[in-house]
Amino acid sequence: MENFQSQSVQNRYDKSMLSKNTKVIDTAMKSDDTDKNEAQYLAQLMEQVANQRSKAAFAKLFAHFSPKIRAFGVQRLSQQGLAMDLVQETMTRVWTKAHLYNADKAAVSTWVFTVMRNQCFDMLRKVQNNREDAFGDDIWPLFESDESDETDNDFKLSATLLKHVDDLPPLQKQVVQGIYMQELTQQELADKLKVPIGTVKSRLRLGLEKLKGFMEKHYD
Amino acid sequence: MIKYHPNQDLLTLHAKGELPLSLSIAVSAHCELCPECAEKVAALTIASSEESFSLAQLSTDNGNMDEVLDTDLEALLADMMSDDTLESAAINLLPAEDTAPTRAVTNIKGQDYTLPWAFRQQINNQWQGIGKVSRLRLETGEAKARASLLHIAENGEIPQHSHKGEELTLLLAGEFSDEYNTYTAGDFMVLNSEHEHSPKTIEGCLCYTVVDAPLYFTKGISKLLNPIGELIY
Ligand SMILES: [Zn+2]
Repeated sequence: MENFQSQSVQNRYDKSMLSKNTKVIDTAMKSDDTDKNEAQYLAQLMEQVANQRSKAAFAKLFAHFSPKIRAFGVQRLSQQGLAMDLVQETMTRVWTKAHLYNADKAAVSTWVFTVMRNQCFDMLRKVQNNREDAFGDDIWPLFESDESDETDNDFKLSATLLKHVDDLPPLQKQVVQGIYMQELTQQELADKLKVPIGTVKSRLRLGLEKLKGFMEKHYD
Repeated sequence: MIKYHPNQDLLTLHAKGELPLSLSIAVSAHCELCPECAEKVAALTIASSEESFSLAQLSTDNGNMDEVLDTDLEALLADMMSDDTLESAAINLLPAEDTAPTRAVTNIKGQDYTLPWAFRQQINNQWQGIGKVSRLRLETGEAKARASLLHIAENGEIPQHSHKGEELTLLLAGEFSDEYNTYTAGDFMVLNSEHEHSPKTIEGCLCYTVVDAPLYFTKGISKLLNPIGELIY
């Protein structure tokens, strides 16, 4: 597996070197295969990010996409600084929304493009209209249809989640319940509990990690 | 059956994210009602992702600038990996993900309408109206286009606009007809000042409308060069 991956990275470098030298005869023959390998390679990385929260896989996705996103940003936002913001915002969303990616429905590059386009749309509105809103994901939803399935799944997950909340240590339980059941924001919760928001974040993180552990056991 | 669709140019610009909010909402909502156009937009999205990302390849392939910038990207990655940015981002988003977002519902004259996704955060004003005609203004932040929901009660007439621009109308629910046609939910069309007609509705209808000041769409967010009418059938 590792071999295959590094091979595929190697291929990409070869390809760009060759095309610079205009010696494209060989690559023209290979490029279909290379594209397919690359697509599979990217899909594997996405899966590792979504299921294992693999930072190593994320770093590889970052290496692949960030120059492309930056170039798009320079073109569309016409400011170098904003282009870097676009890279950061897009890649952060790739990380946090990885579970919404469905390999059966789109290539990774198409999906990353949609995340980037949506983010860019919101950034442009901010620049041009001074609006701090996030409408991109409403206009182009990142999850594609199958709504009934999705709602079902969410419902099951929440039910499972709630079942295990009582097993958490009291302080973590308090935070998880506040966020999930009373739908408080982290700031509201911090105010209510009279603790810094960082404490809320870390309790929430610990609690969620523990719940994730419970849920993994549950599904095994 | 839907007879009026956004044309290819408009769908392409939508896939690229180059339309202003008011029009993006219209095309998105149409696609939610029209599987045919939804499929076209999906294909156009693949095409424009390939186009954008390969263009990017060319522009990053040249010269010294690249090296400097690569240092920037490396620094950004190191930054994101080191200081918990990723983890706290994940945590910030989690609650929102868990409470699945839902479509906006608006109530007018005793009837509930569930609106397409694109309207999810757009319904912040009250309905206002006289007689059979009610209007709910959207705050799109665009100075030169006005977007609203328009509700006409049964046996009402669609009001004619009285300016030089054009008016995009997307029928969201119900029906209306003029001497040429009957329009059904999903129909996407332009009524401009040259079309002297007065559409009527029998059962009542809910529309989304965008009225543009002349030539607005030549500026705006995108590199659009055409007035709205040329982009729409
Ligand atoms: Zn259509």
